[in-house]
Amino acid sequence: MNDHTVATVEELDDGDRKLIELEGREVALFRIDGEFRAYTNWCLHQGGPACEGSVTGTSTAEFDRDDLQTDLQWCKEGEVLNCPWHGWEYDIPTGECLSKEGTKLPSHPVEVNDGEVIVSL
Amino acid sequence: MSQAKSHALADTTVVDTDVHITVEEETVAKYLEEPYRSSITDSPHAMFPSSSWDQRMGGKIDDHFSTFTGPEDVQQFQSDFDIDYPIINTFEPLGKFPQPDLAMSLMRAYNDLLLDQFLDDYDFLGLAAVATQKPEEAAAEIDRLSNEDGIVGIYIGTSGEYPPLGDPANDPIYRAAEDNDLPVVFHGNGDEFMFDFPHHNKGFNNYFEVQTLGHPWQQMATMSSLLGEGVPAKFPDLNFVFLEAGIGWVPYMMHRMNKIYRMRRSEVPLLEKSPEEYLRDQFYIGSQPLGEPNTSDDMKRMIETLGADMLMFATDYPHWDFDHLEELDKYLQHYFTDAERQKILYETPVEAFGLSV
Ligand code: FES
Repeated sequence: MNDHTVATVEELDDGDRKLIELEGREVALFRIDGEFRAYTNWCLHQGGPACEGSVTGTSTAEFDRDDLQTDLQWCKEGEVLNCPWHGWEYDIPTGECLSKEGTKLPSHPVEVNDGEVIVSL
Repeated sequence: MSQAKSHALADTTVVDTDVHITVEEETVAKYLEEPYRSSITDSPHAMFPSSSWDQRMGGKIDDHFSTFTGPEDVQQFQSDFDIDYPIINTFEPLGKFPQPDLAMSLMRAYNDLLLDQFLDDYDFLGLAAVATQKPEEAAAEIDRLSNEDGIVGIYIGTSGEYPPLGDPANDPIYRAAEDNDLPVVFHGNGDEFMFDFPHHNKGFNNYFEVQTLGHPWQQMATMSSLLGEGVPAKFPDLNFVFLEAGIGWVPYMMHRMNKIYRMRRSEVPLLEKSPEEYLRDQFYIGSQPLGEPNTSDDMKRMIETLGADMLMFATDYPHWDFDHLEELDKYLQHYFTDAERQKILYETPVEAFGLSV
């Protein structure tokens, strides 16, 4: 594994991201709730640039069988990454794909050291 | 930016049978005759009807569509997607227009635009737009375009078509296409679902439902009408291409039509062989949007049933449900021989469209 200093902590506010190229691979660094996450910019669907997509929330629904009502809720605002090619959704804190169970964006360990953000590849 | 391309593609010649150029209304207006030009440029009333479904889900899906307007965009796409021969079409389904003369005028305008902006000065291949409201005029348009370099087929939107496309009223179109060695390409449309299935369009609550059914219903209606009216038997040298409903519906239709044909043969006496044989001899299917079975063996069986002689690659770029070549190629490389792969990506479209590339 090689360590790469890719940013300083101050460089990214919460909700920001930075696209970088590491060893010939495109990687995106996200800052969310104070934490840093790094994912390969490669959608598990058809290889689109998932990490360049819009960041939004998403919908969940619950159905109440007794009163036959569906309760729709907008949730995870600011935590959902949408692949720009076909809209597959990814959860930014975990990298999990919301569109296909058991699928995750390839992630890379991130450490903060002395105000610098280091990604290992 | 996107990650490096797959390497097997570099050595493969790829024909993409479905690339749409976006034509702004003001752009096509320049090629229209009056009074229709002014209907676009001077009227506050939208001439191009459209449903209000939000295909891009409030921005979750990127809009590649509205910026894909010029030849340089097609060239950029070719290099980004490893496409050697894009077969481009002007997309707009013309069956929805109630005024026959407007539809005829639009047909000629789209074709003049295609020649002027894309085919005259570039190596692209293109499909001539055909509107069916006046079949004899459409046939004359096919004759007019048949000598143009780069025109390799005619393009008919299967949405908003009435009567269904196999109706004998359309025979002048099929005869002209056959006379000029141009295949007929049928293409459905989700946004135009409201013209064919207005009750369902109003009844469905989300676009998931509309998009699931729009293309296959329109294509199934067209295929059923063509076979039921004996069109491939009337025009045995004509090829038929179906785009953008994926492939899973085709085995279903083929087998179902075989069954019904055997029960009701005397109703369709023009057919001299089973529907499946007509399909295998004269019909070609674009791959996009490839279904996504949870078990990849299921897709293998589907591709096998269709066979490499019928299946052709298509992206549908720049529309929001386009397929990247790797989607189909992961099956081709994994399950099929090099020769079969080569057919699907290159030789079968060369045969279907009579390409000299
Ligand atoms: S490539 Fe990402 S959603 Fe299709």
